[in-house]
Amino acid sequence: MYRMGQYLLRDSRVHQLDPRIKIVSVILMSILVLYGEPVTQSMITLFLMVLLPLSRTGIRPIQQALKPMLIFFAFLFFLHLFFTHGTPIPPFPSWRVTLTYEGLYTGAFTTWQFLLLVVTAAFLTMTTSPSELVGAIERLLRPFKRMGLPSDDVAMMISLALRFVPTLLEEIARTRDAQTARGARFNQGGILQRLRAISSLVLPVILSTLRRADALAVAMEARGYGGGDRTMLQELSLRRADYVAMTLMGLFAGAGFMTCTSLGQTLWPVFSQPS
Amino acid sequence: MCFFYEQHPMKTRASIRRMVYASLFGAATAAGAFIMIPLPPVPITLQTLILYLAAALLGGRLGALSQIIYLIIGIMGFPVFAGGKGGLGVLMGPTGGYLIGFVAGAYVLGKLLEIPKAPQLPWMICAMGVGTLIIYLFGVAQLILVARLSLSKAIMVGVLPFLIGDAVKVTAASLAALKIKKHIRLSP
Repeated sequence: MYRMGQYLLRDSRVHQLDPRIKIVSVILMSILVLYGEPVTQSMITLFLMVLLPLSRTGIRPIQQALKPMLIFFAFLFFLHLFFTHGTPIPPFPSWRVTLTYEGLYTGAFTTWQFLLLVVTAAFLTMTTSPSELVGAIERLLRPFKRMGLPSDDVAMMISLALRFVPTLLEEIARTRDAQTARGARFNQGGILQRLRAISSLVLPVILSTLRRADALAVAMEARGYGGGDRTMLQELSLRRADYVAMTLMGLFAGAGFMTCTSLGQTLWPVFSQPS
Repeated sequence: MCFFYEQHPMKTRASIRRMVYASLFGAATAAGAFIMIPLPPVPITLQTLILYLAAALLGGRLGALSQIIYLIIGIMGFPVFAGGKGGLGVLMGPTGGYLIGFVAGAYVLGKLLEIPKAPQLPWMICAMGVGTLIIYLFGVAQLILVARLSLSKAIMVGVLPFLIGDAVKVTAASLAALKIKKHIRLSP
């Protein structure tokens, strides 16, 4: 059965770090990666290689995280390889499509970029438990409370959603089996037949989702949710190791941004002119 | 005053219910992303089908909120985006525009359906079509900006393959939403 997240319980420095620092670091690194500068990308690759033994997760979970992305990577690579104009690569002149050096470079580079993004995100979920993550998001959103964003409600909603994804997934699978047994066919027949099959799957699932939601709302109310200010079981606090990590991350990100801007990148990579 | 629902010092039953609805529909969207139904040319997932239903049943604001919850789970790194992907990188990557479009699409589609008192099938299909267009708009924009594709190429890889599947989903969602609305009165 499908496993939600890939948290690995280990006793490591990275696991013990404050989750807030880990979240902010991942966001900073993602922005750095999206600058698309080979120097910073090599820096981040090195950094992740150092992080791997530190977090004591082993290489296998990272391979597992990359597995579902393989098709996407291949698609991205070949899209650039085939559709970039430039100097053609000599050995393949007789092919219908022309492969170019530029295409090869952009393809490899973009794939590297997204590989880094996936691995960075995987490190966060491998070393941080879902409840830690939700707690950290709640704490990070707290400053926005004055602007009307109910950070504790948002955190509650995230943990509710996380809790119910596997349940609903199971529900969908069960309904699908039940409707197949009653003659619904999802992978054959004309469009009209499939339409009917899809409705027969979605209707029961949505109805039971609504029913579940009602029961949950009543249960929450019965337990006094929203009756006053909520407190956390474990209030997050920064320790010395956290300050050290924060400083290191700050220096790392600072150096990265300096490299990017000194190499003439605009502030936000997305808006730089497509070549 | 919050954008999504009114805040009371003591939460009323309705506001707890709204919260739960939004988070369960966010979870359902995530679950729907895993269910693949083969349909030529590209297999469809139930993800946007549940988005349509969330917006149609819960309205614009709550529908958008449910999609925000879905995005947050994905950004946190849980593999809930289509194809078992997750993480901030996906959102900022070439195909991330569709995900951002989910929030905008759900909001507009929900708002459109709030205009008539009892929307009928044609209006339902139109509103969902507009929602889908908004999702495409964001998706194509990000394909152009991040993957550096030209407009025609972006439409070729980012819109055309999904047209049939989305037409099927819009029709299925409209029929389902009408049926559900007939039997259940949502209180939020």
